[in-house]
Amino acid sequence: MGIITLLMNFVFVLVIYCFIFSIIRLIYMDIKSINYYISNSNGKHPYLKLINQREMLNFRIEETYLLTKECSIGRDAKSDIIIKDPFISSQHAQIVKKEGIYYIKDTGSKNGTFVNDNPLKIGFEWRLNNGDKIRLGQVEFLFVDILSKA
Amino acid sequence: MFGILTYRKPINYIILLNLLAYLFIFYNLKSYKFETFAVGLGIILLVCTTYLIIIKNRLGDEYLFLIVSMLLSLGVIMIYRLDNDAGIKQTVWSFIGLVMFVTTCQIFRLIKIWDRIAIYYVGLSVFLYLITLLLGRNINGATNWIVIGGQSFQPLEISKIIYILFLACYFKKPNQLFFEGMGFSETKKEKLNKLVLVLFTFLNVFFLMLQKEWGSILLISSIYIIVLYVYGKNTLFFICNIVMTIPIVLFGYFFVYHIKVRIDTWINPWADIAGKGYQITQSLFAISSGGYFGTGLGLGRPDMVPAVNTDFIFSAICEEMGILTGVAVILLYMLLTYRGLKIVLRVKKRFNKVLGLGITTMLGLQTFIIIGGVIKLIPLTGITLPYISYGGSSLVSSFIILGILQAISREDYADVGGEIDEGE
Amino acid sequence: MKENKKIIEVLIAICSLFFILVGYLTYIQVFKSKEIVQNTYNRRQYQADENTTRGQIIDRKGIVLAFSEERDNTQQRIYPYSSLYSHVIGYNSKVYGRSLLEESYNNYLLGLDEYTKVFGLFKSSNQDKKLGNNLSLTIDHELQKLGHELLGNRNGAVVAMNPKTGEILALVSKPDFDTNEEVLAKGWKAMVESQEAPFLARATQGLYTPGSTFKVVTAAAIIENGLDEERFNDKGVITIDGKEISNSGRKAYGEIDLKKALAVSSNVIFAQLGVTLGQEKLEDIFRRVGFGTDITFDIPVSKSLFQYEKMEPNDMAAVAIGQGKILVSPLHLAMITSGIANNGVIMKPYLVSNITSPTGKEIKSFKREEFKQIMEPDIAAKLKNMMQEVVDSGTGKKAAIKGIKVAGKTGTAENELTAQKKDKAHAWFIGFAPVENPQIAVVVVLEYSGSSGGTIAAPIAQKIMDNYLKDK
Repeated sequence: MGIITLLMNFVFVLVIYCFIFSIIRLIYMDIKSINYYISNSNGKHPYLKLINQREMLNFRIEETYLLTKECSIGRDAKSDIIIKDPFISSQHAQIVKKEGIYYIKDTGSKNGTFVNDNPLKIGFEWRLNNGDKIRLGQVEFLFVDILSKA
Repeated sequence: MFGILTYRKPINYIILLNLLAYLFIFYNLKSYKFETFAVGLGIILLVCTTYLIIIKNRLGDEYLFLIVSMLLSLGVIMIYRLDNDAGIKQTVWSFIGLVMFVTTCQIFRLIKIWDRIAIYYVGLSVFLYLITLLLGRNINGATNWIVIGGQSFQPLEISKIIYILFLACYFKKPNQLFFEGMGFSETKKEKLNKLVLVLFTFLNVFFLMLQKEWGSILLISSIYIIVLYVYGKNTLFFICNIVMTIPIVLFGYFFVYHIKVRIDTWINPWADIAGKGYQITQSLFAISSGGYFGTGLGLGRPDMVPAVNTDFIFSAICEEMGILTGVAVILLYMLLTYRGLKIVLRVKKRFNKVLGLGITTMLGLQTFIIIGGVIKLIPLTGITLPYISYGGSSLVSSFIILGILQAISREDYADVGGEIDEGE
Repeated sequence: MKENKKIIEVLIAICSLFFILVGYLTYIQVFKSKEIVQNTYNRRQYQADENTTRGQIIDRKGIVLAFSEERDNTQQRIYPYSSLYSHVIGYNSKVYGRSLLEESYNNYLLGLDEYTKVFGLFKSSNQDKKLGNNLSLTIDHELQKLGHELLGNRNGAVVAMNPKTGEILALVSKPDFDTNEEVLAKGWKAMVESQEAPFLARATQGLYTPGSTFKVVTAAAIIENGLDEERFNDKGVITIDGKEISNSGRKAYGEIDLKKALAVSSNVIFAQLGVTLGQEKLEDIFRRVGFGTDITFDIPVSKSLFQYEKMEPNDMAAVAIGQGKILVSPLHLAMITSGIANNGVIMKPYLVSNITSPTGKEIKSFKREEFKQIMEPDIAAKLKNMMQEVVDSGTGKKAAIKGIKVAGKTGTAENELTAQKKDKAHAWFIGFAPVENPQIAVVVVLEYSGSSGGTIAAPIAQKIMDNYLKDK
């Protein structure tokens, strides 16, 4: 009887601490991504901001992706932005920069790439403006370009 | 959704904790009432639904609510264990509180006149204090309850929120609160407004003194001092305020019997265990009996502590769930404060910033004052432990506050993300 | 931004407040909780008491000395021998708390083990009644009763122990009081105010001037320094540093040796030899016999005192004859006596021999253990021989037992009251028997009796030793 009670109490306390730990972990991840954004961008580069609640996705994803150069998005390990979403193809899309203007193009994905809910034809380069919403698989990003806004 | 049972989701721990706790109570209390599980499932349902509303509607920061729902769960568990009927009532109050939480969050966001109605705050505040004075009933030794339709509530819980709203109004534009367009010079206007601020603070303190609510006085003056420290431009004025409080405290100690007794019993409660030191010593007995892991839910004797549902609920938690849970509760409040101030840091609007700061410090300090009181770290003053203590008005007003904070956090999210605000 | 910086300061301040809370809470738990929980006003502990039938306490032969019984739905602690064990077992009262063995073995008597103590003291309000553990004492009930009767209504103490094992056979203190709850409640107020101090356990916590009994300790130092072969001239009175020291009745013994000097308890010769030994050697022997050492025992023991910094010759003289600013507890003196009997080794005294669970399983047992060696075996042998002479032909004749060799030493100790009135000296006797194979060591003290140790203390010791040895 004594042992059972002790064990029950122990489990109880453990659950509470697991909860605290998971909260701290999420907050920590939150801060880290913000710091990353603050320390790297200085507002000079545009970036992709995750719109989804990150906790609702069960794969690794950052809160922001800084676009310093052209980059590819996909499940493939060679991609610049790797997202292990099962609904994202191994080479899904690419962001290209021409004369300071950013474009996105679908590089042959299965489930398609959407900008502001419009599907992109494969190979078509969409000129990105500040505030565009990009959706790939389950993930939704916001394209933020502070310079163009100003 | 994939992986709904992942260990990474804090909400799952809340569900697990509730399931475990009500199972323990069911087993340990040996009353074998199935309403136990009804209460447990009710709380789980309430928390999950609200959580989903926050996530789906993108109501901003989700950690605030997660932390609070953990505290709420612990509170209902403890109250139900101590008194089944009170536990069921508290579950109903939780429902009302959560509805108020979501509503406040929406109303605060949609109606944007909150920073322009300072004069109404003053009016409402005075009105609330006056009706308390006139219609107040004495329940549990404090004459500050109003009974409407069989339900009793404490207007002073609302008064605290109004006071913070007023502070936010003042610090939004310190010189232009009142007396606009009345032909006063700028400096004169500034001084007059400052006078209004000080007078309103004293008004609150005065009425609370009539109600013998020392804990609330301490709380309101601390918030005043902190907000003044952060936003007051004039250092001299700040120092004046600090210096002014000293004679008031001394006056309180020497001339108000109530305060002197509390301080004396704080210094040495063991001198009169059967009399004045009864509450605090019983609380210490409870805390000490628990050990690290507690006696187990339903296996201790927290019922020996007076007012264990409300002021002393922390002692009961320590006794039955252990010092470690007590520490966890403190850590949760710390996270809540941290999260609140983190939001305040990112918010741009002055009004929201002051409001957020006021609310968060109020939650943090209220917790410190009551927990510090029951463990004999500071003199005991009877205020409730937010989200845990039994009591409708305290719970609902705490959820209103959380709703405001939640609404403020939403502004913060919109700021960082650009224009994802509308059109969901 | 300046404001944001200040907000961070506020955050840090509030977080520190929370950390202070956590710290203080931990402090309460780690350092204070044990004390707080045992506060008399904490009704939880009576919960534990009520749920547990407190264990029995029995003597070495199985006679029940304390037990608990259900009466009118509440548990009562019953002491069948009313006041006999008031200074050994103590009391267990809901109103007045606990004392002595009831206090120091409380957790065992309630069946609370180390494990329950760590993880929360008081479990389950709704369990069936538990049984506590039982204590077996080393006390011999017959001997205890005899000691109690022999002291009669005089104040004082009797300690009997087995010098070879350290077992305490009898531990009587007078005055005593009935420890049964109802009687205790009736007399409590009067006892608290009484000048007789009935709550003082004389045997363990009383501190007395040892008087001439301490000459055996001085004698040990004298023998160690090779002065025992010499002969001394006793003129009945001597003046040291302007202070006169005389024998009892100013009797002059002439040319005598150390053995004779001890037998007749010559103050003159011992005072003289004390000065010869000097401060260093006196301090050394006192330290060796246990002054300044804490005696760990099952119940609290007062520490014996040696209150000198720098000793003048007349201090040395006084100390050598057991007077001056030295105070010992009867238990400590019994230990020293046992040390001499046991060839120079004091055994650690103990009262509880073992603890058994309600089912009879042994939970813990206490075995003999060496406390400290106070002198070499050959010195002890010589001392034994001298102490036998005290009983055979000296001041301790009344302790003699037919057919058994007894060793002893008498003492008549001056104290704070004798300065005004002569007939207030403490009467002492220390002794052991049989000399060749010591089975029992006894100390008897009768406080402020006014009579000499040889006249009134020695017969008590004689009866106790005789009774015990006959019984064996």
